[in-house]
Amino acid sequence: MTGVGIGWRPEIAAFVGALPGPAFTEVVAESLHHIDPALLPDVPVVPHGVKLSLGGAGEVDPARVRLLAEAAELVRAPLVSEHVAFVRAGGLEAGHLLPVPRSRESLDALTRNIRLTLAELDVPLAVEPIAALFDWPDDEFTEGEFLTELLDRTGARLLLDVANVYANARNRGRDPVAVLESFPLDRVAYVHVAGGAEHDGLYHDTHAHALPQEVLALVAETARRVPDHLGYLLERDGDYPPAADLVRELDAVADAASLPRIT
Amino acid sequence: MSGLAGRQEALVRALVGGGGLPAGFDARLVGAAAKALLRKRSGEIVRAWPELAGSEAEIVRWAEGRPSLGSWRDGWEFAREHRESLGRDALTALVVCEVRWIHGGEPRRRRGPVVRRVPGGAVFGAFGRRVVLRR
Repeated sequence: MTGVGIGWRPEIAAFVGALPGPAFTEVVAESLHHIDPALLPDVPVVPHGVKLSLGGAGEVDPARVRLLAEAAELVRAPLVSEHVAFVRAGGLEAGHLLPVPRSRESLDALTRNIRLTLAELDVPLAVEPIAALFDWPDDEFTEGEFLTELLDRTGARLLLDVANVYANARNRGRDPVAVLESFPLDRVAYVHVAGGAEHDGLYHDTHAHALPQEVLALVAETARRVPDHLGYLLERDGDYPPAADLVRELDAVADAASLPRIT
Repeated sequence: MSGLAGRQEALVRALVGGGGLPAGFDARLVGAAAKALLRKRSGEIVRAWPELAGSEAEIVRWAEGRPSLGSWRDGWEFAREHRESLGRDALTALVVCEVRWIHGGEPRRRRGPVVRRVPGGAVFGAFGRRVVLRR
């Protein structure tokens, strides 16, 4: 996948459907069975799972893995993606993606769960490191080391979310470019781009606010470091702005990545 | 239970179940994450129950320390507990929901005929269908 795309959501289906040239799109995997495939644009579709809990201490739920595999078949996906995160424990749903400790025990759990998932998939899997407001107290690896080891062990590819890189770096007082460079950039499958906002002194990766210049700068930094043209996907998940604003953001992503505009 | 399983459970309990903060975590940052989870959950409840729009802040307070049953059931629980203060549309949505579903545990569909009052009218339900009639 090369070029710029946008995440398909029911609220912006008409906008996405009317775009003249998106390179690809992404659909929340858990919602795909409720969507009429005819509504999706005629471009590659990546099912993006949010509830598999690959980072959970227990084994992934086989029914959820099957659902992801079926979603991939339904849209003839070139690949699927999920997160380096857990979303439930002890029968409690967290309601969002939570960070895993960057420890050996956690690497073992993720490795087992990614392998169990890959065994059911006919297409590659890309895993996305998340934005997290807090860290576990006993991290043994940096994020770059942890991801490199995880991809080495499993053969999974990297879904690089530059907005997550920015959010994590900013909230920890680190240089986002240095964090970006520490990631295994030779294994990027595609890139996520999204907006966020500051709240009580912390930057929240909301997907519901405008795209900051700093995130666009990371798009450009990524394009410079990964010269094979990648796919860059804009994610928007609420407070949907007028179409003109989405067009401006998609154009800005294309320009930052030196890719053709899709609007 | 491995160490990781127990620690993940303690963290989720601290974030959404009213549990104490596990040792070593930053209280301010975990608190901020818990608040963000509540805001997200409140938005999802209003998406499932659009008639509750405008009650987001109240839903956040209600949801604190209360594990989620899923956004639709959360909205139903919130509406039941705030029946007296609901606006006309939200109260009608609650009554329509309860004409169709039996509350308690996993929701079950109501089969027999039922009539319930709503502001300015009544809801009739039978065999999975329902009609709202207003004066």
